[in-house]
Amino acid sequence: MPKYIISVTAADRVGIVYSVTGALLDLGGNILELSQTVMRGYFTIILEVEFPVTHSARQLADTILDRGKRFDLQVLVTEVRNEILEPAVPSGERFILTVLGDDAPGIIHGIAGCLAAHGVNIVDLHARLDAARFALVMEAMIPQDLTPETIRSELERFGRDHKIEAYVQHENIFLATTEPGPVRVGPAVRTQGDALASH
Amino acid sequence: MHRTEDVLATLSMIRQYKLDVRTVTMGIDLQPCAAPDLSTLCARIRERLVHYSGRLRAVCREVEGRYGIPIVNRRIAVSPIGWVAAGQRTEGLLAIARTLDAVAAEVGVDLVGGFSALVQKGWTEAGRRLIAALPEVLSTTERVCASVNVGTTAAGINMDAILALGHVLKETAERTRDHDGFGCAKLVIFANAPSDNPFMAGAFHGPGEPDCVINIGVSGPGVVKAAVEDLVTHSPTGPTLGEIAEEIKSTAFRVTRVGELIGREVAARLGVSFGIVDLSLAPTPQVGDSVGEILQAMGVVRIGAPGSTAALALLNDAVRKGDLVQSWVTKTGASDLF
Repeated sequence: MPKYIISVTAADRVGIVYSVTGALLDLGGNILELSQTVMRGYFTIILEVEFPVTHSARQLADTILDRGKRFDLQVLVTEVRNEILEPAVPSGERFILTVLGDDAPGIIHGIAGCLAAHGVNIVDLHARLDAARFALVMEAMIPQDLTPETIRSELERFGRDHKIEAYVQHENIFLATTEPGPVRVGPAVRTQGDALASH
Repeated sequence: MHRTEDVLATLSMIRQYKLDVRTVTMGIDLQPCAAPDLSTLCARIRERLVHYSGRLRAVCREVEGRYGIPIVNRRIAVSPIGWVAAGQRTEGLLAIARTLDAVAAEVGVDLVGGFSALVQKGWTEAGRRLIAALPEVLSTTERVCASVNVGTTAAGINMDAILALGHVLKETAERTRDHDGFGCAKLVIFANAPSDNPFMAGAFHGPGEPDCVINIGVSGPGVVKAAVEDLVTHSPTGPTLGEIAEEIKSTAFRVTRVGELIGREVAARLGVSFGIVDLSLAPTPQVGDSVGEILQAMGVVRIGAPGSTAALALLNDAVRKGDLVQSWVTKTGASDLF
């Protein structure tokens, strides 16, 4: 069945999610994944939706705009084509990268450049400014053939020039300290952990 | 997606409040090494220690890098040498101590514990010889730590051993006088020693343990103090004792889980068993890393003022309750208060 990535932005008002999902339901759409946030008073939602029949991007956008015309929505529709997902982004282990420091233009760009140069894929990113203090928390997939030290030293080098601190830590340490579930060590570790022969 | 607040809270425990893995201690059973011939015994001890701990330094560095948390010390605890070396004379015991010292340096651990004897109910010839060898061992080796259990609630106290150890302490202090009598700091004299103890200087690998096991000590004073201070600062009317206890429990949980994660990962990478986590409130020379300052953050004006004992009891109880893994929670920090 055809699938689409749909993003909608507007000044935040009560009822936008009701309006957008109603329009999709009218066309027989089923939501597969959804992420929504409000940033500085602006609402943004991104959805993956599948439909029983093909619709043009124009038709989908017009239906959403019509249903939500009181919200002055901005809509972008992209059809999911599996072939463009190849070659896939590199896999790896999920690390949390944290950057703290004084705010300045270009920090995220510079960090993203360091990561892209090493084939590190950013899968989630949140940054904010409290007073003049910049804080960025990023989830990134570090390829198996790359050590966290390599990325850490790259970011530290960048940080020295921009008065920021950067930390690279496997996500399991955050799972251990914030979730009540059993402590996990990654599959990559377990494969190395064949029992040492008795001596 | 991890919540930004959770990530920053965990990071600040390491970055600002000195949370570290104070020690990764590998326990190794040396009893299979026993042999009547001294050179065979020393060779077996060396081979077995290298077999199990040869990759300890490298693995600790890998794990340190993976989680971005410092592992301050790596150590080894071995079976009580009084058992392993039974039948050896003084020169044999000294040779074994030097073997332990040399292997410790080779594999990159700062201390090796287990030059130990258990003499609470009476002493064997082996125990007597080991105690007699202690001044020489403690003054001529760098990394070997010793311990002697001289009493238990059930068996009573071996007063002859205490007398002998009094002389041992004086002689060791004299022999190491150029280093502030530091030889004595590597000797622990126990009453009611546990059957197995991974904590220096009295560490030894006891009966009932596997061939090799990884135990963890994590430091907590700075983190617990920061959590209590934060609670007090953000409570307009001041927190209740119950709220303070809950905050300490929650912090102890997070600190202990970090230790468990590091221990399980080191053990998995080495292919050996994981043992326990010790959440220590023992202070370090760093500013802000003091158990006394935790009590002051709780509202005790100064240590020794009314409420000190109650605050310490609350602290120890809450830390124990927050520790949900198969851990020991030591009160080593508390001893510094008295």
